[in-house]
Amino acid sequence: MSLEMTMSQPLSRESRGFPDYELPRLVRLTDNLHGAAFFLMKLLPARHMLDRAAADGRLKPGGTICETTSGTFGLALAMLAAVRGYRLILVSDPAIDEHLHKRLLELGVTLEIVEKPYEVGGFQTARLDRLRAALEANPGSFCPSQYGNADNPRAYAEVAEQIAERLGHVDCLVGTVGSGGSMSGIARFLRHLNPDLHVIGVDTPHSVVFGQPDGKRLLRGLGNSLVPPNVDHRQFDEVHWVGAAEAFLATRRLHQHHALYQGGTSGAAYLVADWWARTHPDRKVVTLFPDEGHRYVATIYNDDWLTTLPGWTGVLPEAPQPVAHPSDVRPNWSSFRWDRRTLDEVLAAGTPVARDLAEAA
Amino acid sequence: MPGDVISRFASVRLGTRGNQRKEQGFGQVNGHHGEILQGVFPDDVGRLYRGLVTLPCNIVSSTAVFRPAPGNLVTVPDDKLKAAEAARLTLDSLGLHDQGGHLTVESTIPVGLGMGSSTADVVAAIRAVADAHGAALAADEVARLAVRAETASDSIMHGDLAVLFAQREGNVLEHLGPALPPLEVLSVNTAPGTGVDTVKQPPADYDDWEVQAFRPLRGMLRRAIRTGDAALLGRVATASARISQRHLPKPAFEEINAIAASTGALGIQVAHSGTVVGLLFDPRNPATARRVAEATSRLDTIGLPPALHFRTDAVEVRHVA
Ligand SMILES: Cc1ncc(COP(=O)(O)O)c(C=O)c1O
Repeated sequence: MSLEMTMSQPLSRESRGFPDYELPRLVRLTDNLHGAAFFLMKLLPARHMLDRAAADGRLKPGGTICETTSGTFGLALAMLAAVRGYRLILVSDPAIDEHLHKRLLELGVTLEIVEKPYEVGGFQTARLDRLRAALEANPGSFCPSQYGNADNPRAYAEVAEQIAERLGHVDCLVGTVGSGGSMSGIARFLRHLNPDLHVIGVDTPHSVVFGQPDGKRLLRGLGNSLVPPNVDHRQFDEVHWVGAAEAFLATRRLHQHHALYQGGTSGAAYLVADWWARTHPDRKVVTLFPDEGHRYVATIYNDDWLTTLPGWTGVLPEAPQPVAHPSDVRPNWSSFRWDRRTLDEVLAAGTPVARDLAEAA
Repeated sequence: MPGDVISRFASVRLGTRGNQRKEQGFGQVNGHHGEILQGVFPDDVGRLYRGLVTLPCNIVSSTAVFRPAPGNLVTVPDDKLKAAEAARLTLDSLGLHDQGGHLTVESTIPVGLGMGSSTADVVAAIRAVADAHGAALAADEVARLAVRAETASDSIMHGDLAVLFAQREGNVLEHLGPALPPLEVLSVNTAPGTGVDTVKQPPADYDDWEVQAFRPLRGMLRRAIRTGDAALLGRVATASARISQRHLPKPAFEEINAIAASTGALGIQVAHSGTVVGLLFDPRNPATARRVAEATSRLDTIGLPPALHFRTDAVEVRHVA
C-alpha cells in the first residue's frame, strides 16, 4: 500500500481493540535488567495485521479470518474478531489446551481440530492442508499468516517506541523466537537507533529456527518445526537454546524473586537475560515476557507436574554451555555466537567435526 | 448580519483600526539548520501526518518591515512571492481586504540549503503586517497563514520551543518541551553551488517499515528532551538522517558520518529537504573544542570545509572557514 493511501486510511484506533492491553508494563528487575511484561503480546501484531488488511481491502467488514494456531496468537485474533465483528476459523490439533479451547469457543471461534497427524509432515502439514481447505471454502477470507506477514514484525515499532521513551539507550535485547515477529521487529527498530545493540534470541532444543534438527519439544510458544520467514537471522548476535525444565524453573524464579507471574517463554527469556545482565553489570538489558501465567496454573505453577518432568533437577544452571555449531544439540541450556549471520551462512560454516577434519588435514 | 460580526471581530482583534495602526510594522524570525527528525507520525487518534522537529539556528534570520497604505501591495525585492502572498493573506485575515502597503524583506539565511529561508521570509512578513496593525498573532495563527502561503512550512514561528510540527497543516502534533537540549553544531553544505528547491520537492514516499520506524525515534526524542540528554538527541538525529538518505541522498553522507563517529560527535543531522548536514557535539563536554577542531580538519581533507559553527543555545557565530 502506498504512503498516500496509508495516510488517507480510516483510523485504526477508531476500530475497536485493546490499546491499553497491547503494550507491556516495564519492570526493573535489577540495576541493569528491565523486563517488558505483556498481558498477551500477540494482541499487538494481531491488531496491526487486521488493521492493515482492513485498510487495503484484504479483510472486508464482517469478513472471515482463517488461521492455524493453537497458541496465544489464536486467542488474540479471537478477542479482536469478537469485538470487531469478524468470523474466525482456527485450525488446531488435539494438543490444544482445554481451557483455551473453551475460551475460544466462548469468543465465537469456529474451531477445526485436525484429529490425525500425517505420516509425513505430522500435525503441522495436516493443519496447513486443513487451513487451505478452509480458505477455499470461504472465498474472500483473510489469512493473517503470522510467520510470513511483514506486518507482524512491523507492529512492534510501538514496543520499541515505549522502550526508547522509557529506558532511553539500551545495550542488549533478549527474547524468545517463535514466529520471529517480536524479536526481529524490535531488534531492527532499536538497532536503527543503536547499531551496537546486542541481540540475543532464545530458542529451545530441537527447534529448527536456528538450525537444530527437528524433534519433540515440551516448551511451547518459542521454537518451530519450520523456519518462519519473519525470523530475520541477521539481527541476532547470540542464540541460546533453553530446555523445558530449566525454562519452567526460571519462570518460577521470576515469580518468587520479582513477583511477575508470567508464562514459560518468559522464564526462558529471564534465564538468559539475567545471566547476561549479571555478566555485563554496566550494560542496560531489556527482555520480553510474552504472556501471563494464568494459563499454566496446572503445569508450570504446579509442583506435582513440574517435578516429574524429564530432565528435572530442581536447580538452575549458572551459565549456558557454549557450543560450536547449532547441530551440537544439548538437552540443557546452550549458547552460540550467531554474529548476525544468515541461517545459510551459519550452517555452511560447517559442523565442528567437519571443521576439525579440515584443520587436521 | 454575519458580515458585521466578522468585521466587528476583526476590529476587536486589531483594536480600533485607525488608532492602533502604526506607521510601520516590524517582523523577524530566526532560521534553522534542518531537522532533528522528519517523517510521518500518528496524532492522538492514530491518523498519520507528515511532521518534523526543527534544529534552531539563531545566527541567521529574516527581517521584514511593512508600511500600510491603501491600494496595492508592493514587495521588495519583488521575487519574494511567498512573502508577498503571506502579507496579503494576513491583511485578509485581519479583515483588511482593500488595504495594501509596502513590504521589505531582508534575510541572512542562505537559500536552497534547507535552512528555512522561504518560511522565514513568510513568517517575518506575517509578523510585520500584524505588528503594523497592532495585532499580536499567536504562533499557531502564524503557522496556519504560513502553510496557506507556501503549502508546507518549517516550525520556526515556534522559536526555540521543541514541537513536533505538521508542516503541511501548520499544527503542532506534540509539544515536546521548552527547548531541545543544547547542541554545538558544525555545519557542512554537501552540495555547494547547487541547492535544492526545497518547496518544489515531492514529499518523501516512506515505505511501510519506515512509517513504523519513526515511532521509536519519536519515543527516544521525548526522553532526550525530558531528561536533557543530548546524546539521545544525537541518536535520533542520526537515525532520521539515515532514513532521509533513501529519499534525498546527501553526497559524502557516509564519509561525514564516519568523521562524526570517530571524532566523538553525538551524531549527525540533516536538512531533510536541503543540502546541509550538521555534526552534533555536546557543548557541556570540555573535549568538544578539541573534537570540533579535529572534525573540521578531517572535513577539510574530504573537500567539505565546514561553513558554520554555532551553538543552539547562544547567538554566537564562529565562522570556521
Ligand atoms: C507465549 C509466547 N511466547 C513467545 C512467543 C514468540 O514470539 P514471536 O512469535 O514474536 O517470535 C510466542 C509466539 O507465539 C508465544 O505465544
